[in-house]
Amino acid sequence: MTRSDTAPFDGAPAGDGRANFLVWSVDHQLADTETRERVHMDAAAVHAFLAACGDEPDIVSAVPLCTCNRTEIYIETPAARCVHESLARALSVVDVDFALFEGEHGRHLSGGEAVRHLFRLAAGLESMMLGEPQIGGQIKDAYRLAREVGPLGPVTMRAFQGAFRAGKRVRTETRIGEGAVSVAFAAVELARKFFADLGRNRVLLVGAGETGSLAARHFLQHGIGAMTVVNRSAERAGKLAEELRGGEDAPIRARPWEELTASLAEADVVLSTTGATEPVILPDMVREAVRKRRGNPLFLLDIAVPRDVDPGVADFEGVYLFGLEDLDGIVRANMAARRKELDGADLIIERELGEFQGWLQDMELLPTVAEFRTYLESIGEKQMAYVRKHESEAVAAAVEEGLRTFIKTLLKRPMVQLKSAPSREERFQHLDSLRRLFELGRSGED
Amino acid sequence: MQTLLGFLNTLLPIAYLMLLGAYVLVFMRDEPREAVWSRRLLGATLALHLGAVVVRTLALERLPLGAPLEFFSLMALSSLLIYALLERRMQVRQTGFVVVGLAFLLQFLASSFVGTSAPPTSGLLEDPGYALHAVLVLLAYTSLSLGFVYALLYLAQARQLSRRNFGLLFRRLPPLETLERMSVGSVQLGVPLLFAALATGHVWMVALSRRVPPEVAARLDHGDPKIIASWIIFVGYTLGLVGHRTLGWRGRRMNVAAIIGFVLMVIAIALVHHFFPSFHNFSIRGGVPAS
Repeated sequence: MTRSDTAPFDGAPAGDGRANFLVWSVDHQLADTETRERVHMDAAAVHAFLAACGDEPDIVSAVPLCTCNRTEIYIETPAARCVHESLARALSVVDVDFALFEGEHGRHLSGGEAVRHLFRLAAGLESMMLGEPQIGGQIKDAYRLAREVGPLGPVTMRAFQGAFRAGKRVRTETRIGEGAVSVAFAAVELARKFFADLGRNRVLLVGAGETGSLAARHFLQHGIGAMTVVNRSAERAGKLAEELRGGEDAPIRARPWEELTASLAEADVVLSTTGATEPVILPDMVREAVRKRRGNPLFLLDIAVPRDVDPGVADFEGVYLFGLEDLDGIVRANMAARRKELDGADLIIERELGEFQGWLQDMELLPTVAEFRTYLESIGEKQMAYVRKHESEAVAAAVEEGLRTFIKTLLKRPMVQLKSAPSREERFQHLDSLRRLFELGRSGED
Repeated sequence: MQTLLGFLNTLLPIAYLMLLGAYVLVFMRDEPREAVWSRRLLGATLALHLGAVVVRTLALERLPLGAPLEFFSLMALSSLLIYALLERRMQVRQTGFVVVGLAFLLQFLASSFVGTSAPPTSGLLEDPGYALHAVLVLLAYTSLSLGFVYALLYLAQARQLSRRNFGLLFRRLPPLETLERMSVGSVQLGVPLLFAALATGHVWMVALSRRVPPEVAARLDHGDPKIIASWIIFVGYTLGLVGHRTLGWRGRRMNVAAIIGFVLMVIAIALVHHFFPSFHNFSIRGGVPAS
């Protein structure tokens, strides 16, 4: 199914002679990983695509956004011309098939819907993990890169600036970004419910596999104080400890498997991820560790399948054992809490969209209104030349002041009427009438 | 003066209620704006209550501690004061609603039933030396009470974790380590205050015994049951702190012990108060007279 919403900024059909803003997207909601990979562009391809867009006269500006979950192309066109062919040509330069954007895995939006989509995207409302913050930075990077390659159209610039503001507001004014929504972060969040400052705590990583390594890195990113790696193969433990240190003098060390019980007593957080088929952390070992810890809580996180930790250890005083299903529970609870914030977030998006539309309206009105003002002022100037010639300076000054007030008052009501026109189409009709009635745009003919 | 007392009496529970509202918001949302407001309101309520105590002291020409309801009001003030110190030290605001809630209840009861006129009272409360002792006792026991409150919160959070209850309480309560530090911190504040209170009490007794007739001085007994009970409480809490610092007593068991200790302390004080004669009697004239 191709989702193609073409609602323009305020409901009139797109393409009425003014700038239009469009987006083509292939994202995780409609496309599988394989399709997403086929439309993905790396940094070099993005540069080449932007250069190709620069050669297309129908494309005022283009901003491609490529993340692991989506490839989106934001286009500003000068008129209601169909840019499909231009875009397809530009994409072919980087071996991306435009048909994928138009097919069942793609989404095409224009005008107000495209801007709304961008605002929602910047706020993390379109993300796989609702409210995730990385997308904001990715949009900024895409925008910056597009600006470096060539100038952007005014609508594109204003739309992206509005998106950054909308994203920031949603994050600061709602709780959409609160709580862990990934299992790895949930583990850290859970540890933070035991310890006030992870910088003072030690993590014991049991197992040197990929899962353990990833979880350990997450704890290191969140400022864990020290880490011990214990693995059946001492060599692999040493290698992982070295990798985790990353060439720095970090307090990360490896210990032999025989020292697992002693390591348990020294650790505050235990991450167990071995591939063992039988539990490796047994009640006797934990009992010994608990005795040495004298009441300090021990947080055991068993993320191995099958389990590494004997469930019986949870009965010991001060021992808190959690598994993958518990982390899933935290993620689910946090996701539910985030979903409750959606209404508030949407309200902010709509307000920001309203501001964008207000700006767009002003942008559309300004050239004609400015021309009309110049026209009135030129008539006034001619009359003033006559008055200055035949009347005193005082009279001329009074007439000049009167004329200025007259022009201001004359312009005020049409401006209000134009701004409050029920549709963009009607507004453009008024503007066209104004231009026709006063023959605006024909300088020097009056 | 009576009008001012009445006005302050009405204003205080309102101020406490507003403060409670601010701390409930901090618990629910914990946003910088709410934190700033709660801090400002906390300062304002403390200042207002301190002012009210000064006004009442001047009006009654004694420390307003002669009736249970006056005691409630001062207990609310000291709870808020100790909590403000803890909050400043730990930089944790999410637990404020519990302490402020209790303080509000105490102040509401005090304001609802206490009169603006002076109830019958012992002349002891007019003595500045005794006033210092009484204030220190009040602050000490309030600190120990807050230690009890934080031990309860520790157990509540430990229960959320054990039962995999990842709801609002889990999300908004501070970590176990912080709650334990707040509980221990309260006791660490309460123990030296209790020592100071007992020491000033003994000093004041010696000074007073020189100023009163011999038959009255004879009733000022250093071995008074209340004093003995207080010293036992002091020793008990001191041992607990020593165990925490040197023997590493921590975790759930330590907090359960703190709760049991506090409950025993309250029971002991109540028993001593009811069943043993004591010169610590300020509610009626006829106790130990002021000098």
